[in-house]
Amino acid sequence: MERKNEEEETETGKSELDASQIEYVSYGGEHHLPLVMSLVDQELSEPYSIFTYRYFVYLWPQLSFLAFHNGKCVGTVVCKMGQHRNTFRGYIAMLVVIKPYRGKGIATELVTRSIKVMMESGCEEVTLEAEVTNKGALALYGRLGFIRAKRLFRYYLNGVDAFRLKLLFPCPDLYPSLPMIANKDESYSHNDHIPHEECCELHQHL
Amino acid sequence: MADDAAAAVSVPERTSIPSGDDSVWADVSPLLESACKDLRDGELIHGDNFNLFAAMSALEIMDPKMDSGIVCKYYSIDEAIENGAAPVPISINKTVDVQCTIDIMDHLLACEATWHKGHSLAQTVFSCIYLLRPDRTSSHALLHSYCRVIRATCKAVISVVSDARTHEEDDLFTMAYGLPLDGDGDEKCLSLLNAVEETISRQLRACKAPSSRRRVLEDMEPLQTNLDLEEGYCKALLCRLRFRKHFYHALTSMRRPQGRGLELARKHIATCISELDCIYRSSDFLRSSACGTSEDGIENRTTASGCQPIGFDASLNCRLSAPTPPRAIKILSWKKLLLVQDGKLYGRDSMFTVITRAAVLPEVAKNHDVQKNEYFVQLGQLVINMLKILCTNAAWQRRKLGKMLQDWRVMYVQLELAFRKEFGEVSRIPEDENVCVKIFQHILLWVEEQTYWIASRFLILGFELELYSPSEYCMVYWYMYVVLIKLSEKTHLKMAAKNDMGKRKGKKKRDSAKDVAREYRIPPAVLFLQCQICLAEGLTMMLAALRNEHMILQSRNPFNTEQERFIQHFELLQKACIPDHVSFHSFRESTTYARLSTLVMYNYFKDAQRIAKEAKSSFSNDPDKLAELRKIEQVAEHNSIALNVISRVGALDPTLKASFEFSHHPYFATAVVKRS
Repeated sequence: MERKNEEEETETGKSELDASQIEYVSYGGEHHLPLVMSLVDQELSEPYSIFTYRYFVYLWPQLSFLAFHNGKCVGTVVCKMGQHRNTFRGYIAMLVVIKPYRGKGIATELVTRSIKVMMESGCEEVTLEAEVTNKGALALYGRLGFIRAKRLFRYYLNGVDAFRLKLLFPCPDLYPSLPMIANKDESYSHNDHIPHEECCELHQHL
Repeated sequence: MADDAAAAVSVPERTSIPSGDDSVWADVSPLLESACKDLRDGELIHGDNFNLFAAMSALEIMDPKMDSGIVCKYYSIDEAIENGAAPVPISINKTVDVQCTIDIMDHLLACEATWHKGHSLAQTVFSCIYLLRPDRTSSHALLHSYCRVIRATCKAVISVVSDARTHEEDDLFTMAYGLPLDGDGDEKCLSLLNAVEETISRQLRACKAPSSRRRVLEDMEPLQTNLDLEEGYCKALLCRLRFRKHFYHALTSMRRPQGRGLELARKHIATCISELDCIYRSSDFLRSSACGTSEDGIENRTTASGCQPIGFDASLNCRLSAPTPPRAIKILSWKKLLLVQDGKLYGRDSMFTVITRAAVLPEVAKNHDVQKNEYFVQLGQLVINMLKILCTNAAWQRRKLGKMLQDWRVMYVQLELAFRKEFGEVSRIPEDENVCVKIFQHILLWVEEQTYWIASRFLILGFELELYSPSEYCMVYWYMYVVLIKLSEKTHLKMAAKNDMGKRKGKKKRDSAKDVAREYRIPPAVLFLQCQICLAEGLTMMLAALRNEHMILQSRNPFNTEQERFIQHFELLQKACIPDHVSFHSFRESTTYARLSTLVMYNYFKDAQRIAKEAKSSFSNDPDKLAELRKIEQVAEHNSIALNVISRVGALDPTLKASFEFSHHPYFATAVVKRS
């Protein structure tokens, strides 16, 4: 499924707006749906029917967030999570912040909240697709630890390529020990574990 | 409920859509309205096979973003034709007719190239109304023959790509969706084309002949009515027709089995390229004789004359071609198209380079019984798969190569086990079987070498595809370094084994000093790899040193560490143990103590320069390799200098920053030192 993000996080944002003035709210129900829809419809070119929104916010309301400034909805993130092959993973479907509010870290905050819920819910990784030309999105997700796992040739209908971005959460016993292949040398060690201290340190940052 | 429905239906008085024999149109808007009133916001009808997930595929009728059935200008092709969208002949004025025909030819070529780049056939080549109704053009020999050749060519291209199975299932390229590709009589397209070409050649000769001879040829009707322009138009048409002819020949030659037609195909392609050159040069003439073209936007026009072609409408096919969305696509501009062609068929790597790679298979094995071994059959299949993958676009190629790694590794292990089973005790092998042993060993080495080659290509493609962010370059170069070391090791061993075999054939020669010296000289292929190894190591250490000395910004991510990113990037390599004993911790150990001061003393870049210089003498007949060695030298030189500058001045000047750009080499970065 495709997702679109036209967020641009430029380093030079207007500093009239204080970050603390933004209120972040978890998706609360039907009354939030028109706000999400109109934001996405207005900013993104991909056509989504109302059912697409319903699919996400009904099944995973805890993963969608809205950002308000003085009662006006200025940004939103819509996600899902589930079993995919043999990993439990989160997926970021839509991320939008309206133009006048870009460059203030709102998108980063929305995404971060969602990813935290995914992590706490047991996700092993998070994934999304972004246009290769969407520098803002690539920078945002890069800062959060996403890598560009694959390039998808002509993924979008307008012919633009996409990157599949993936964030892998640290987890000691994530990787099965290595193959089945008979090997002369027994003493190799592959997927070394993170030292315990580092693991704790990570959680403290959150 | 059913009664309500019957009452709500009304028979329409007049619709723009004609009713068929078995169908009647009914307006159900009132019915839908009352149904909507029955459901409240947030309610959804649930069915056995209709849930929220399925509901996502819903389209909103009359939403221009989603509804590809919305009528733009004409409801159908027939309506478009009735309204004069594709006249035959194009104009009663023969000069205008010729001009417009050339425009159509140019635009079709641009459409074809756009199709090759990945857009759908329906919105490119078959946006041409003339192509959609093959019989309409029969009175216009030029247009008719050209259309036939286009259709036959597209059909041939689709067959070739399908046969090679180098495309994905949902690849737009091969989907025809009921478009009229199978024109009746299209196989005779070449004879038609030849006839037309012959006529125009005679018209060209007639107009160039001195007036005295012209009386003899007077029964030859000229191409068009303006005698001054006759020569120009004839030439413009001829090169276009010839291009088409040779392109079609190239395709049919390449389809011949056992690669028999490849040399012929090569010749046809060479002719195509020279005809393209003529086509390009005809643009001056065509622009000057065209009516009403402005200079603005000439770069983006799809025709040589700059005029809009007649008879094209991309929206007509929307309903015929299932998943094409209502989206306009940009047809490649004429100029870009001609620069793109340069001998690369289908926009992919030349088939020839791919096939030469296959010829690297050890010669000896070919005629031996050992071929019948099931593992060798599997190996053959593995090689064919790899060749197919190498023909595809870089993004797909990298994914597939990554997945292949494990197959190659498993192949090696199976062969090795089979080898040990056959020849367990080396001492008791009769003379005859000794050859078998050598072949097996040679093949094992070759398989390992190929495996590491695939691994190196996998890593390198990541640069081309921009998959690595600058903060990841260090680990990527490090992994490239360890893979290239293994690759050069195996290459070297393989070459030594080959020499060994060569010596054993024929009479034993007395070892002269010269032979010994030759034996110990490092083969050029290995030298080539060695200078790459030096560059990779140099870059790894330089990046690590800059990070260790806090000259490169490394932000901490809230959710994971460098280890997770290492694991992700190299997962497929690690799974296949390529190479063994390599992990994130070995990467860390190798780079923790990197310091600029040490690097200046032991300068990997200087080594790279030295080896590159040595290698150049062995590659004097290979311009491609020489070019690459020069690039390597440039990277090495610039990085060496940058290293010196940073190490001397860096500590004193905190504003000095290093960034890494691909200015001299596609995947070895050059350090650029600037004041921020």
